[in-house]
Amino acid sequence: MNKITERMRERAQELLAKGEVEWVIGWEKGSLWYHSSPAFVRRPEEVERLIWDDFCANNLAKYLLDFTQLEGKVALFVKGCDSKGINRLLQDQQIEREKVYIIGITCPGVRDARKARGKGPEALETIDLEERCTFCTRPEPVIFDEIINTGEKLPGRGEKEPRDRFTEVERLLALSPDERYEFWAKQYERCLRCYACRNVCPACNCRECIFDRSQSGWCSKRIVKTENEFYGLTRALHVAGRCIECGECERVCPVGIPIMSLHRKIIKDLNELFGPYEAGLDTETPPPLGTYRTEDPDYFV
Amino acid sequence: MLKVKRDKLPQVLSVWSEEAVVYTPQEEDGVSTFRPWTGQAEVTFKPGSTVLPPKELFFPRTEEMYRYRVEGQAAFLEELSLPQQKCVLVGVRSCDARSLLLLDDVFLTKGYVDEFYRRRRENTLVVALACREALDTCFCTSLGVDPARAEGVDIQAWEKDDGYLLQATSERGKALLDKVGTLLTEVSEEPPAGARPSLEVDPEGVTEKLQRMFEHPFWDDLWHKCVGCAACTFLCPTCHCFDIQSENRGNEGFKFRCWDSCMFAEYTRMAGGHNPRPTRKERVRNRILHKLRYFPERYGKLGCVGCGRCLERCPVHMDITKIIQAIKEVALDG
Repeated sequence: MNKITERMRERAQELLAKGEVEWVIGWEKGSLWYHSSPAFVRRPEEVERLIWDDFCANNLAKYLLDFTQLEGKVALFVKGCDSKGINRLLQDQQIEREKVYIIGITCPGVRDARKARGKGPEALETIDLEERCTFCTRPEPVIFDEIINTGEKLPGRGEKEPRDRFTEVERLLALSPDERYEFWAKQYERCLRCYACRNVCPACNCRECIFDRSQSGWCSKRIVKTENEFYGLTRALHVAGRCIECGECERVCPVGIPIMSLHRKIIKDLNELFGPYEAGLDTETPPPLGTYRTEDPDYFV
Repeated sequence: MLKVKRDKLPQVLSVWSEEAVVYTPQEEDGVSTFRPWTGQAEVTFKPGSTVLPPKELFFPRTEEMYRYRVEGQAAFLEELSLPQQKCVLVGVRSCDARSLLLLDDVFLTKGYVDEFYRRRRENTLVVALACREALDTCFCTSLGVDPARAEGVDIQAWEKDDGYLLQATSERGKALLDKVGTLLTEVSEEPPAGARPSLEVDPEGVTEKLQRMFEHPFWDDLWHKCVGCAACTFLCPTCHCFDIQSENRGNEGFKFRCWDSCMFAEYTRMAGGHNPRPTRKERVRNRILHKLRYFPERYGKLGCVGCGRCLERCPVHMDITKIIQAIKEVALDG
């Protein structure tokens, strides 16, 4: 058992046994060695289910929305990127800080489960990191009540510097508008409108989404390219300035749409217009589109 | 047994293409699905099933049903012509072949025939391809599917290193092979055994168990990790729910149907706002009950074919084999 797992179980056991929290949200093993899945633990004797390994990719922050009516507290484990999701929900006033007990994990990085398919556990070291981990500059959580730090390095990345996260955006920007439209049209032609991207997104925290009201007339339920594009663009703009770049939307897309390139284009624009900003680092700095400063650019008004 | 050499396969497809659109598994941006074969010289079949199942060739994700317009006091309906296109679907795995039989039960039996589906089904010949290799998410044999021999298809093919063994399993399949007779050779090779998946579950008795579990606390814990998206149902080769809506432009419009999912909040929301499946708990329960209880009650077979798509692409890897196992382990009083 690795040190993080050991510590996770120890702390979950204590918190539940002392009645400090009602639930602990972590990860557990699935049927396959490369599948790790969210786990919800309520009793101290169940903490043995909890694990940490190279495939604990799921951002658990969004699940806090399921516990807002709970009297007691919920404890959950967060990696660096996940912790920004907590700040997202706090800043959007969706959850109460005192009802959440946050156990941070200084993240050694997670790997891409889809690339492990068909391989055995002996191939672990050869499996690529999740794309977001190759950009990651903040493996340590930005908000926590306690932290688990084993000093382990990002697997695969080693001491390498994080990659530039705008490389793909720049590649797309270099295309002509027609080529670029062609690229996105092909991607959204495949979209199934399963809404996995929305449902895992901590910034998608509307009580009710317009896409769950197909009779509203804003967007047809027809699963066709134009409506799919409308959905993708609407969601991208709705999380503009609030996207914490956890990359979960892109990871879970069953048909592999590079959703983060759309989001990063907007992040890049916002950085250029309003100055560098990284969403979810704290709860005090207002998102660029959620505030007004007299020095904001106004050439478009 | 008849055999086609690997390098002759494009010629076979080319002959079939003269009278039909030939679909083969093709990959784009890492997502495989059945697409029209357009003369590619390289025809390869990767192990396992395609990411997207072949169901949408019979039951498209969106289709228009009829058009209408209003002129003054008069209303006019315009029927749309039924699908005419002949198709040959090549490389269907045994799990997906079974799924088509299950969709037949839904769309063609019990007193109502869906004409759109029936036409597409009748116009399409299915060439199945046995699995030499199972993926680690496959569990078809647990559902009684034979990876080496598909049910209800027109031709069964088995891949060998140098080509494909072919056997007609219907009259129409025989006619299809006759058309390419000059490209085939008679060989005395035996079809290879199917690959046995390593993932297994025994669904025996699960339907009867579920008949007594609707209100069981089992469901209270199961749903938590489900994010409520429709990846499982849309990728499932047997899920077949659809919604019917209309779209109006001025004095005219059309009715369409599109895939729907019991995972969606809107799925059971009624006029007035009441929703009998208000949370993910009831929705997850419905998905499991539909596959493992309601479908067998209505059609006498389980609604899962063991393709493994849901557990592979689920954002949280909800695993139906684990769920079946857990249901079997639930202790019931009496």
